[in-house]
Amino acid sequence: MKIYNHTGIQYFIKATILTAGIALFTNAGKALTPVHLVLPGKVTSTQQQAIEYLQKINELKSSAHWPNIKPDLFLKNLKNNIHDPISIYPGKGTNFCGYGALTYLFLQDDPLGYASLLVQLFIDGRATFRNVSFDPSPAIKQEAGDLKYKGVLDINPAEQMWFLTLADHYKGYLNFFNRDYNEGDENTFWASVNYAKFNRMTRQLLNYNYDAMGADLMRPRLKSLYNYISEKMKTGTVVLFINNRIVHKKDHIQVKLGVPTHFIVAERISIENDVITFIYWDYGHRTQMQVSTAFFKRIVFGITWFTKKETDAE
Amino acid sequence: MLDSIEESYKVLYPHGHFNVGFTSRDFKTVSLEIITDTLSYIYEFNIDEPRLLDTLTAYKLNAAKINALIKQMHDIRCTWINYSDYYVDEKKQTLILMSIKPTALKAPFSYAKYYVLTYFPQPQYFDSEGRLLDKRRLRRLRKINGEVFRRINSKVCYAVTGHFR
Repeated sequence: MKIYNHTGIQYFIKATILTAGIALFTNAGKALTPVHLVLPGKVTSTQQQAIEYLQKINELKSSAHWPNIKPDLFLKNLKNNIHDPISIYPGKGTNFCGYGALTYLFLQDDPLGYASLLVQLFIDGRATFRNVSFDPSPAIKQEAGDLKYKGVLDINPAEQMWFLTLADHYKGYLNFFNRDYNEGDENTFWASVNYAKFNRMTRQLLNYNYDAMGADLMRPRLKSLYNYISEKMKTGTVVLFINNRIVHKKDHIQVKLGVPTHFIVAERISIENDVITFIYWDYGHRTQMQVSTAFFKRIVFGITWFTKKETDAE
Repeated sequence: MLDSIEESYKVLYPHGHFNVGFTSRDFKTVSLEIITDTLSYIYEFNIDEPRLLDTLTAYKLNAAKINALIKQMHDIRCTWINYSDYYVDEKKQTLILMSIKPTALKAPFSYAKYYVLTYFPQPQYFDSEGRLLDKRRLRRLRKINGEVFRRINSKVCYAVTGHFR
C-alpha cells in the first residue's frame, strides 16, 4: 500500500476521512459481543461434482468480454483450483489477500458453485450468485489475463478475473478515494479489504454461519486469545486478520503503524511454554510460525469463525 | 563478495530450499524461512544462537555452509537473499534476489533505502536507458516487486527501493 506517498494537507484530509470511515463502518461495536448470523442456505457441493462439471466442458471458446484471457489456460486454472484449493495464489505485491482467503474457503465449501460462477462470468461477462450480481467494468475485463510480474498469478487468468471482479464489485471505506480501476491498482487501496468488507463478502458468497470478533483498529479483548481461537478451530474454520508488517518484515523501520494488513486461514494451533506454534494458509501454501503469546496478541485484530450450514451434497 | 554470496546460495538452495536475511537494524536477528513441499517454516534467531545451527541440522540442511553464508551476509550488510519466480511466455523462470543496506547516513525522518540486486540465469533485454524489459513485449518494462530495475551487466540488475524483499 502506498500510504507513504501522501503529503501535507492532502494526507491530512485523507487521514481524517479514513479515520471517520473506520469509526463508522468497522465492527468495533462487536469487539466484545460476537454476532451470530444464520443465512438462508442452499446445499453446498462436493469437489467431485465440480470435477464432473468441468469435465463436461470439452472446449471453451474465447470470450469477447475478456479479450486477454486464453480459454484453455482459463479452464486449466479452474481445474487446478478445484483439485488443489491450497494453490490459490493472490499474487506478489497485490492487495488481493482478502479475496484469496475468501476463495480458499469458497473452494472448500462450494467448489461447484465456484466453478459454475466463474464459467458463467467468463462466457457472459456477468454472473449472479446467491443474489449477488457481478457486472465487472470494462477496465477489469480489459486487464484480466494481462496482469504481470505477480508470480504464478501471471499464468492463472481465472484467478485474475475473479479477484479483479471481487475488488471491482465490493467497496469498503479503504476504497473511498480510488473506486475505478487503473493499471496497477491491484497493488493500491483500490483492491484493499477492510475487516467489515471481508465479512460482508463471505456472508454473501459462502454458505457458512459466521461469528466475527475484532475490528480494523481494535484488537479483540479476550482473556486468552489462544484458548478462544483453538476452541473455535475445533468446530469450524477460522480466518484471522493480522498485522503482517511485523510478521513478514520488509524494512527496518522500528515504529510501525499498528494496523492489520493481511487475511490468513488458521489450520492448526498449539501451545507449549508460552510459545504458540501456528500453521496457517496464505498465498498458495501453508506456513508454520512460532511466536510468543504476547506477540500473537499484538498481531491479531480480527477473528472470523465459519461453520458449515449443511453437509456436502450427496 | 556479492557474487560469492550469490554463488553460495545458488549451490546450497537445491539441497534444501530456504530464504535468509536480517530483520533487525543492528543485523543481529536472523530471519530464516525453510520451504518444504508441504509447509514453509519461519524462524527468527540471534545470529550467535546455537538454535540456529540446530534448526538447520534438524532440516538436514548444510548448517556449516549456511552459517558461513549468513556471516558473509552480515559482514557486508546484505539484508536478504531469496529465489523468486517469474513467467515468460507462460514458462516459469527463477532469479536470485539480494538486497543490501547502505552504510551511508540518511536524512532524518527519511525512509530507509535498500539496493536490490537481481541475478538472472540468462541475459536480459534492456532499453536505451538501461531499464529491464519484458522479453515478450520488448516495449514493456519488466517490474519486480513493483520496481523498475536497471542494468549492471546482461544478467544482473539493480533497483533502489524502500523494501529489502
